[in-house]
Amino acid sequence: MREFLKSTRFKILLAFVAFLIGIMIYAVTKGGYAVSGASFINTATKPFRFVSNSVSMKIESIADKLHNADQYYEENQKLKAQIGELNKQLTEYDDLKEEVEELRKFVVIKEQHPDYIISQPASVLGYIANDPFKSFNIDKGSAEGIEPYCPVVTAEGLIGITIDVSEHVSTVRTILSPDLSIASVSSSTNADNGIIEGSVLTAENGCTKLTHLSLEHALRVGDLMITSGNSGLFPKGYAVGTVKSLGVEANGLSAYAEITPCSDITRLGSVVVITDFSGKTPDGEVPSAADPEKEGGNEN
Amino acid sequence: MRIRSSRERRILRFKTTIRWIVYYFLILLSFVLMTSGTWLKPVLLVPVALCIAVNNDLLGSAFTGAFCGLLIDIACGRLFGYNAVLLTVFCVAVSLAFELCLRYKFINYMWVTALVAFIQCWLDYKFYYQIWNYSDVERIFSRVTLHVWLYTVISAVFIFLIFKLVNHFLMPKAHLTIEEVIKTC
Repeated sequence: MREFLKSTRFKILLAFVAFLIGIMIYAVTKGGYAVSGASFINTATKPFRFVSNSVSMKIESIADKLHNADQYYEENQKLKAQIGELNKQLTEYDDLKEEVEELRKFVVIKEQHPDYIISQPASVLGYIANDPFKSFNIDKGSAEGIEPYCPVVTAEGLIGITIDVSEHVSTVRTILSPDLSIASVSSSTNADNGIIEGSVLTAENGCTKLTHLSLEHALRVGDLMITSGNSGLFPKGYAVGTVKSLGVEANGLSAYAEITPCSDITRLGSVVVITDFSGKTPDGEVPSAADPEKEGGNEN
Repeated sequence: MRIRSSRERRILRFKTTIRWIVYYFLILLSFVLMTSGTWLKPVLLVPVALCIAVNNDLLGSAFTGAFCGLLIDIACGRLFGYNAVLLTVFCVAVSLAFELCLRYKFINYMWVTALVAFIQCWLDYKFYYQIWNYSDVERIFSRVTLHVWLYTVISAVFIFLIFKLVNHFLMPKAHLTIEEVIKTC
């Protein structure tokens, strides 16, 4: 032992240990950075370690799959069921979100017009086949308190009027139809008034027409037309549409304006029916009785 | 058709029942298609009713015509019963015509359908638009009525093929006696 301690080999070993301790202390003082030797080794061996690691991971993975196949299968089935459940919840959530958005719009109507009694939102069942004036059916009828000649609206504006009411389905005649006339006034001037009545030509573009307009009118393109509420068939002050273009009738006696409805009547999802409002014509006094040609009701 | 045994009678009854179930399924399918979407669509129920009328007896044709007519009234928002009356008359007339003087051929079915569909479309235009004297009402005839008629005639080709297939499998075949075969020849 004494001989070994005095030997050169021991001194070399000791020097080597001291060197290593020196490196260790040096490494500590580098503050987290690798010493140049270690860095070199890391760099040089990187590709080999990468390949080796990949191979070993692959082997481990295969072995793991073989060993735990049953467990993974069960886990997979559980996850699939979970995904299915989540997808279902997501669909329900989307439906609810859409419904809430719709309801929120209709709440605005009630807030702005507290005198209105409105129905539950009614879904559009479908448009009447091949009708150039886009009449449609809704999924609410007399069972929900809807009567013939009730105004049908969206939060954006007036859509039309109920004309054929059964227990759970009603037919709506739109403002594109020449059979429906609405007395209206400009919301900006409150003086330029006329009759909004559909026509064959304007209905082709999803628009309606303001007629009997004075030649000295002050209407401008973009002006909003609202109901004047004279007849009691429609509530006063409800938006109908905006002025798209202006012109003078062929007879030269009055002007007219093409009106773009506030809502796109050709793409409706749901509407509400105003079953009562202040100033409504009492039951039995349907304006259509005055004009047999306009069975859907004239507001002249 | 001559029924020779009780087995044949049972088969006939079974096939007839299935055939009418298929007919009415196709009628309801046509109704659903007519009430979907916002585009102009063919009045599918007219060729369907006529296709049934050319192959079946008077009573069945009349009843089917009425049923299809009522469905058209609902789909097109017309006075309930208006198209039912029209189609009943047309179906009876067509059934009689095919029984007495016309052969069951594609070309005969097509011209009859084109004629009936045109009359139906024209009357619809007359009573629901022209009579009210709207300005530019003739545009409805050229842009809606004629298009709908054309689509109806085109759809009749497919309807004929579908019904030919149904009849091929479910229509009972006639058994002719030797005397009848000789007479036919």
